Amino acid sequence: MTTCTPSGVLATRVGDGCAENPYLCYQCKRCTAGCPVAEHAGMHPAQIMRAVQLGQYDMIFEDKFIWLCTGCQTCTTRCPQGIDIAAIMDELKIIAWREGKVHPEAPSAAMLKLNYDSFVRWGRMWEVELIARDALRRPKGALEWLSLGPKMLLKGKINPTLKRGDTEAMKRMVKTAESLNRARESQRAAAEKAAEKPVAKPGAKSGAKSGKKVAAPSGKSPASPPGDEGGGAS
Amino acid sequence: MTSIAYYPGCSLHGTSSEFDASFRATARALDLELVEIPGWECCGNTAAHSIDRLLATALPVNELVKVEKDLRLDAVAVPCAACFSRFKTGAHEVARDPAVADDVRSVVGRGYEGGVTVQNLVDVYHDAVGLEALAARVKRPFKGLKVACYYGCLLTRPPEVTLAEDPEYPTHMDAVVEALGCTAVDWNYKTDCCGASLALTEQGIVDNLVGRIVGDARDCGAEAIAVACPLCQVNLDGRQSEIARKDPSWVSVPVLFLSQLVGRAVGLDEKTIGLSKHLVDARAVMA
Repeated sequence: MTTCTPSGVLATRVGDGCAENPYLCYQCKRCTAGCPVAEHAGMHPAQIMRAVQLGQYDMIFEDKFIWLCTGCQTCTTRCPQGIDIAAIMDELKIIAWREGKVHPEAPSAAMLKLNYDSFVRWGRMWEVELIARDALRRPKGALEWLSLGPKMLLKGKINPTLKRGDTEAMKRMVKTAESLNRARESQRAAAEKAAEKPVAKPGAKSGAKSGKKVAAPSGKSPASPPGDEGGGAS
Repeated sequence: MTSIAYYPGCSLHGTSSEFDASFRATARALDLELVEIPGWECCGNTAAHSIDRLLATALPVNELVKVEKDLRLDAVAVPCAACFSRFKTGAHEVARDPAVADDVRSVVGRGYEGGVTVQNLVDVYHDAVGLEALAARVKRPFKGLKVACYYGCLLTRPPEVTLAEDPEYPTHMDAVVEALGCTAVDWNYKTDCCGASLALTEQGIVDNLVGRIVGDARDCGAEAIAVACPLCQVNLDGRQSEIARKDPSWVSVPVLFLSQLVGRAVGLDEKTIGLSKHLVDARAVMA
């Protein structure tokens, strides 16, 4: 295995996680043309794709784009290479959580976590809890709500009560998923480490550029990436 | 009477109780028995798939397993577009990748055999009820009310998952409102994202998106916007009142759930379909 340059590592990791092949991207920028938030961040989707191919982790995580992505699936729908770009954005967020690279000035990232904690705690997401916890954490940002919030309350749009789901079942599922994820992650880390050694020297030729297939460094890959043609398994 | 499982989701028990009420009432009026999934859990929404991919797939599949094995029904109505998307994605993921299916089975505790059809709000009226049967139940047809049908992101995208016929220019909701006596207008922002997932954190971006969508609907002659997603509704309705506060020249357009339009046409009263909850008053267009 000779293609595991630093760039290969990020693309492999992203590709393994969501079973997509980032190297299929040839920069046509249709994703960017249709993206509702491309104009509001430093980077746009096609630039993120290029940075994934080149292993430019820091560039991606220093920008707010992945946290502004609304998951609207327009990029995924329009990609002529069949890449599920929205899934790659999700995978980058998952990597950022895991590696402590979440953007400090992206309130949407914190909101995702509040949301996750809420449904894990109650079995269902409790909207009032989200708004309240967000306001406590970020009083300035919550000021914006001072005009809309009371209007919604008056109209009966905000229901302060909570109906719980099956909280026991939820806890059991979360626990099992977490332990399976941990097992997969340590397998991946071990495989990555083993594959890094032979090419860690400077000046190693980058074979990753021509390697269209995102092969896992060793045989162990929980969700094998798609083959060279076709991209997504549609 | 046909029976179909029903997954309301968190929003329909929270900010969009009128969506739940109007959907249930129209189902009753259209001879569709809704069987709510007992002890349903959150589908994981936007948060799960950007934090824990496996859990995000397992949560909706867990509900599908309940429908298939406990309720023994072959279809589930998921009126929230965001939940619908998670259900369709979950089913798609386990069907395409045996390794994912194995992991999901470990998390859920039971396997999913793929025997449940997932229907969004438009599917329920367009396919489960059917356009002819729906038109036959219309007691108070609209007199050509001009409606812009807003599909948003997740009813049709990505097409590999939703199997939507025409993801870039869908028409099923248009056909439903036409069956009620409305006139569906042609417009440009049918499937553009309204940014609802950023509504609590990035209001500037969201106002920009909402302004474009509603502005285009209005420019194309719409007197109302029909939606099939609680997040789209609360976002398009709520942010307009904020846009209007900052821009006095703004002319608001009421944003109605498709189930409210159906409800009015089949003869349900204003209270049953929850017309008092809109921030942009919708009563005039529904009179």
